[in-house]
Amino acid sequence: MITRQLSIAIPIFVLIFMVQEAVVDQFRLAGGGFSLLLIFTIIWAILSTQEIAAIGGFTAGLLMDLSPSSSGPIGQWTLLMIAGCYAVSYLGSGNENLSGNPLGLTFFTTSAVFFIEISYVVTGALLGVQTGSSGQILITLVGISIWSLVVTPILLPLFSRIHAFAFNTRSAI
Amino acid sequence: MRKGSEGRSRLLLIILIVTALFLITLDLRGVGILEGARQGTQTILSPFQRAGNVVLTPFKNFFSDITHLGRTRNQIEELRANNNSLKAELANRKNADAQLGQLKSILDLAGTAGFKVVNTRVISQGASQSFAQTITIDAGSNAGIKRNMTVLSEFGIAGVVKDVYPNSALISLATDPSFRIGIRIAGSQQIGILSGRGNRSASLQLIDNLTSVKVGDILLSRGSVANRPFVPGVPVGYITAVDNSAGAIAQSATVRLYTNFSTLGVVAVVVGAPVNNPGDALVPAKPQPTPVPTVTIYVTPSPTPTN
Repeated sequence: MITRQLSIAIPIFVLIFMVQEAVVDQFRLAGGGFSLLLIFTIIWAILSTQEIAAIGGFTAGLLMDLSPSSSGPIGQWTLLMIAGCYAVSYLGSGNENLSGNPLGLTFFTTSAVFFIEISYVVTGALLGVQTGSSGQILITLVGISIWSLVVTPILLPLFSRIHAFAFNTRSAI
Repeated sequence: MRKGSEGRSRLLLIILIVTALFLITLDLRGVGILEGARQGTQTILSPFQRAGNVVLTPFKNFFSDITHLGRTRNQIEELRANNNSLKAELANRKNADAQLGQLKSILDLAGTAGFKVVNTRVISQGASQSFAQTITIDAGSNAGIKRNMTVLSEFGIAGVVKDVYPNSALISLATDPSFRIGIRIAGSQQIGILSGRGNRSASLQLIDNLTSVKVGDILLSRGSVANRPFVPGVPVGYITAVDNSAGAIAQSATVRLYTNFSTLGVVAVVVGAPVNNPGDALVPAKPQPTPVPTVTIYVTPSPTPTN
């Protein structure tokens, strides 16, 4: 069962990664723009079990590490995404106010994006990754969070349908 | 049953985390296979990025127009009068003209110094989720581009080639926090190290503690051994503020970079440099103030009529 789900999920992650790199990154959006893959993976994790969330986080993190524009060592995003997605799934499991409520889901996703980005800065500092001045980091963090807050409600119906398709579930937000 | 599921879930989590830590260790130890994986990804992505750039150019112009709505209101009013096909044509032409203007300026700059350059288009901007400042260009090792070559914009230094793939290359911009360049001050020849800070403002650290700089001083690249990563004499920026802290070992300053990184459409990679250092030949001309004509009015009193 899990093999079937993953065989559907992994190409979807790859496709979204390619859309991010070939389309979203073409636009020079103010404040750093948004990460389609990060938002998708977090929504995926909220709607999934902890096991699936961790594997999804691993796949998405590995793709983000393989992005040529990634400044950290390969494995940094992987580590953060595994931990982040597992935590998101753990906090969201059984909470109908979250997984069934688009507004709650949007705010939860935005918060998760914010905390994962902060974790990237902190672990980057430990691993010797240059992330710029504190002012610039703050602008990027706020920018990415605001963009996530704007983009998540728009993409949520699509992403939840993709999740429902992959897992053969009827409920979609 | 429930305990078994939780145990399996935790075991999976531990295996995945250990795998990630293993990858980090391998990468930090410089294992080549991981670097090859990143290169392979870019090789796969570059045709899609190129296609995306072509398809999305009119939309990018649209977003740019929205950003400058206040300034281009009259232009938008004019465009409304045209039909849709003319709008698309105009948007494409506008983009081509802007790129042509950038290209002309780059060639002027490179020609003055005698640099041999490969002109390229920017096909993608790096995702900022990793706080890195990068762009991808549409030429790579097949066009003679190698790692650690200087990248020029129409105004001066844009960055340095970070990674090269057959038909594309990743450029680390001068704004990237990991970017470092040796500079000298035009005229006084003082030397220092310029560091990127994530935006157009960079920080300068002078090397000699007996020298000083002032606001307005122009910075040129000092050049590297065999002209890699940096060719000498290319304008970098100018000093906007000087830090005169009493406790500092050497003077530091804030520098405004010449290149406008938000409008990069065309850049040139220096693939060959002349033996002679161009010196201060590339120092940009100071803006000339526009003379304001003074109007002098002479008033001659008319003779008072007498009765």
